[in-house]
Amino acid sequence: MSEIHLTINGKPVVAQSGQTILEAAKQADIDIPVLCHHPALANWGACRMCLVEVKGMRGLQTSCTCPATEGMEVETETEKVVAVRKFVLELLFSERNHYCMYCQMSGDCELQDLAYRYGLDHWTYPRPFEKMEVDASRKYFIMDPNRCILCSRCIRACSEIAANHTLGLRDRGARTMVVADLDVPFGESTCVECGTCLQVCPTGALIDAKSAYGGREKDVIHTQTTCMQCSVGCDLDVVTRYQRLLRVDGVWESEPSGGLLCVDGRFKPLYEKRQRVTGPLVRKDGKLVAAGWNEALGIVAEKLQSGSCQGLAYCATTDEALTAFARLFAKVDGAAGRIEPQVAPLGFGQVAKVQDVLDADVIIVTGAQPLEYQRVIGYFIHRAADQGAQVAVITDDENGLSARAAMTLTSAEAGKAVETAAGAGKVVVVYGTEIKPEVIAALKPLGDEAYILALDPARNAQGATAAGLQPQEPSDVDVLYFLLGEQSEDAALLAKVNGAFKIVQAAYHSPLVDQADVVLPTPIWVERTGHVTNLDGSAKPLHAALLMPENVRDEAEALAALADMIG
Amino acid sequence: MVYRAHILISGDAACIAKGARDVEAALWEAVQELNLKDEVQILEVSSLGHSDQGPEIVIYPDGTDYVNLTPEDAKFIIEEHLLKGRPVERLTYREPPSLPLPPPSEKEVRVVLENVGKIDPENIEDYIAMDGYMALGKVLGEMTPEEVIEELKISGLRGRGGAGFPTWLKWTLARNAPGDMKYVICNGDEGDPGAFMNRSVLEGDPHSVIEGMAIAAYAIGASQGYFYVRAEYPIAIQTLRAAIKQARDYGLLGEHIFGADFSFDLEVRMGAGAFVCGEETALMQSIEGARGMPRTRPPYPATAGLWGNPTNINNVETYANVPKIIHKGGSWFASMGTDKSKGTKTFAIAGKVERTGLIEVPLGMTIREIVYDVGGGVLGGKKFKAVQTGGPMGGCIPEQYLDLPVDYEHLKEVGSMMGSGGFVVMDEDTCMVDIARFFMEFTQDESCGKCVPCRVGTRRMLEILNRICAGEGRPGDIETLEELAVYIRDGSLCGLGQGAPNPVLSTLQYFRDEYEAHIYDKTCPAKVCKGLIEYKINPEACIGCTRCARNCPVNAIEGKPKQTHVIDADICIRCGVCKQVCPVDAVYVE
Ligand SMILES: Cc1cc2nc3c(=O)[nH]c(=O)nc-3n(C[C@H](O)[C@H](O)[C@H](O)COP(=O)(O)O)c2cc1C
Ligand code: SF4
Ligand code: SF4
Ligand code: SF4
Repeated sequence: MSEIHLTINGKPVVAQSGQTILEAAKQADIDIPVLCHHPALANWGACRMCLVEVKGMRGLQTSCTCPATEGMEVETETEKVVAVRKFVLELLFSERNHYCMYCQMSGDCELQDLAYRYGLDHWTYPRPFEKMEVDASRKYFIMDPNRCILCSRCIRACSEIAANHTLGLRDRGARTMVVADLDVPFGESTCVECGTCLQVCPTGALIDAKSAYGGREKDVIHTQTTCMQCSVGCDLDVVTRYQRLLRVDGVWESEPSGGLLCVDGRFKPLYEKRQRVTGPLVRKDGKLVAAGWNEALGIVAEKLQSGSCQGLAYCATTDEALTAFARLFAKVDGAAGRIEPQVAPLGFGQVAKVQDVLDADVIIVTGAQPLEYQRVIGYFIHRAADQGAQVAVITDDENGLSARAAMTLTSAEAGKAVETAAGAGKVVVVYGTEIKPEVIAALKPLGDEAYILALDPARNAQGATAAGLQPQEPSDVDVLYFLLGEQSEDAALLAKVNGAFKIVQAAYHSPLVDQADVVLPTPIWVERTGHVTNLDGSAKPLHAALLMPENVRDEAEALAALADMIG
Repeated sequence: MVYRAHILISGDAACIAKGARDVEAALWEAVQELNLKDEVQILEVSSLGHSDQGPEIVIYPDGTDYVNLTPEDAKFIIEEHLLKGRPVERLTYREPPSLPLPPPSEKEVRVVLENVGKIDPENIEDYIAMDGYMALGKVLGEMTPEEVIEELKISGLRGRGGAGFPTWLKWTLARNAPGDMKYVICNGDEGDPGAFMNRSVLEGDPHSVIEGMAIAAYAIGASQGYFYVRAEYPIAIQTLRAAIKQARDYGLLGEHIFGADFSFDLEVRMGAGAFVCGEETALMQSIEGARGMPRTRPPYPATAGLWGNPTNINNVETYANVPKIIHKGGSWFASMGTDKSKGTKTFAIAGKVERTGLIEVPLGMTIREIVYDVGGGVLGGKKFKAVQTGGPMGGCIPEQYLDLPVDYEHLKEVGSMMGSGGFVVMDEDTCMVDIARFFMEFTQDESCGKCVPCRVGTRRMLEILNRICAGEGRPGDIETLEELAVYIRDGSLCGLGQGAPNPVLSTLQYFRDEYEAHIYDKTCPAKVCKGLIEYKINPEACIGCTRCARNCPVNAIEGKPKQTHVIDADICIRCGVCKQVCPVDAVYVE
């Protein structure tokens, strides 16, 4: 890339070759208005807001698509340009229903902002629009085509970022509409509810069901934290107001997901139905009753020193908590381990980062179901496939990725994937706990050139590993201590629990909690501080967007207090 | 009840034998389904005249005649014609084709059409016998790519698909663009209503286009080409596929053509059916499998076209000229035409002219010569009013410019354009506001919907034009139209939006008085706009023959035999049938 020099509004600007006029202007703090453009999406050039005049070029140019070139002279706010922008806005306001007063986006709407900026103080053209049906067939967000300006951001987000290709346009001219698949209700479509379209929509056309009318940008607080719903660990922008959780957005230009989230990270945690444990509980006369922290911790400390004990943790909490947990059991000479199985290393290849999937030439997936459990990885694989990567799924069962894979092979055919990879540039192996030994053997010839991405089923698997917690089964001890965090136990674990004295540290009620002798509450994801280590191995910070309930204490802190009491 | 449209279906034995009843049932069903039953009437009549091509229907008020229908066609027609207002051309009755092309009139010069109708398009040897593929042989044997481009430069050939961009320059840009993979594309989308110039060449002389593309590929360094032909041209597609196969069999396509270090092959892609897919960037999107929507330029296809690779795209006619230029020399070609517009151009003459059809004339011929000498004059000896050139984005040129030379520059100067060769003659009975409205209806409907000025702006313009034609024009409408037109032109992404206001701008320029008459006097000077006219029967002249009453599709005419007939203006749909059938010219328009 070489440096180029141009002038924008008479101001000398230095840009890199390959940059658009818009990018060059942005660097120089010159604000060119946009509507269809979004920095995370491919340039589109449709809305005509970013038109500028370039000396020597015929007609007006869309600065979002026009490459900046050496010596170019650009004017961004000439009379002509401003007149066309205003015209475009007037037309948009005549096209569909933009009575802002009743729109949930009012105040935060990019269209409305521009209308103010260009002084739209009356309706210029008649507004013969017809009312269109709102589509509320999806649970988490609503499409109101009456506010849609057909900027196609949602469509591009769906195709380019989520690689899901659900959204498209139907018809032409004034009848053009954003539709899902072959024009089915969104809720019946191939939509995976990642919500990327929702996040990029500039107007009130895509509406979050939870946060609608809950507060404008000026009223809310943004807190950046890390998603704890799976081991990918995407960055989250948590939006709250008055200690109320409104919405979760992705964070553009962040690792590992670049702003892409999935339904598990963006929406589901906001619809939590389980009953919260709001304070310590101890069993008295066969019943769990509320207790103070001192009392509860006192009992736990005493029990841990009075007999054999074992600590079992779900990797569903912070690095700090898992470390404190391991330390505590070291102190009382108890065994401590993790509950979820762990993926074993393959014994060859180099460690891949999540982003390595995106520029892979061949991706081999085996023993894992990323589309179900680490969805963003699944979407990344789709994205790579869109870019021409060959995806080979090796499985003896069903795998959602098969639908768009170049080949689906049985374990016995795994060698074919190696053949495909031969001489193919960058090869990434994505695997999980279900990988079969014969597949490992068959893939071995890929050698150390191959990038290996292990999809650990546990959310903070790396944190647990760092704390030295290996998978363990409940054993025959006097005291069992379960650190559940937000993870409610599965039935298999419950079945293995014996008659030991049970301490459970959990955020939510569950059968195990209800059997416990002492229950300690934990914070949930939005309340957490500390770190979580994702499958890229980076310890990512957690910032609390909400305060913990009064009687809840952070696990790490509670566990440290326990260790102190034991002395 | 006043119906908006009437469908007459032929109930003669031949049509019924071929399934007219099923077609009728399908019509009913579609009308119900689309909620048109209060607007559309379906009537069975004894015969409509082409029972050999039944089932047949005629739709009034416009009188479109559809033949050889299936029930599916019937449903499609209701949707397209009655709901969307677009007659379905492929199903309309056509005079049996008159190939070979009628001999050229005196002033015509056939270059592109030279072989059309003379050779068997299915037989490559016919083409070879007419010196076919000699040019390719010469290019591969004796010429460097630079020399090929130089020859084109001498010829002065300009693009025949629209803007008239110099072909040599386009090829040079593609040649110089860095890239290992390059493509050539032939634009055979021909979406202008009423145009069939490209079809005639594709169906009548496919090898000339194939040869032209191969030469282009050699010149720019491409090895793969695509034909993009609209799906409505099944015969052209079939002919092309056969021709490509023959060319391959003869070693004229494929590896090492003529033993040279040049390989080239071709594939045919069917158009997606939208007019905008003829726009070059939309066309490439469509080949790539995406929705055909234009994208912004720069970068131009020459540097970043199909799949991001350097691509040369030309019109069918542009390519068809190339072998001739190579064969006979650039200066031969440049000897025809005007200073800046060389060679010949095909036109589809249509409208109110004696001889409609396909013509090819040297560029620079005047409008007068084309209309009167080639076209045989205005139909029925009526007065010439204007000619519309350039298709839906072109303009109307009034009588004062009858002696204007038809070439790229002059057409542009008077507010129209060459386009792909539409040439619609209008006589004194044509309402220019209605014409502008017609084209605006077309473009707004064909707008791809991507950019705001075109998608919304053309709609706003059409609404105003509709109002004016319905007699509901208001002061200020003209000014609003002008304002919209200018902004849409300057603000739209592609040529469709940029050109869509042209018919309005040019009619406003030359026929502003007609707009004013509609708006202020509530009259349509040409007596066309239905909201502003009334059909009446002159009682002095009426002989009571009952013919009008029998032919009126909506029974709006009352009268006993031998007595004066009267039209009920409330029922009348202004189809004009009565005026056509009256033997004594008693029907008049007010
Ligand atoms: C809306 C629209 C429709 C077009 N349709 C056609 C078409 O049907 N055929 C064609 O050759 N060019 C068409 N064009 C022009 C093409 O974009 C392009 O300029 C042309 O194919 C270039 O070929 P040429 O240099 O040989 O003229 C259209 C342009 C626009 C804006
Ligand atoms: S989408 Fe924006 S402009 Fe439209 S009504 Fe809502 S706030 Fe107003
Ligand atoms: S829904 Fe929103 S993002 Fe999608 S096209 Fe409409 S306005 Fe744009
Ligand atoms: S000008 Fe019209 S056809 Fe062209 S891109 Fe814009 S909306 Fe589409």
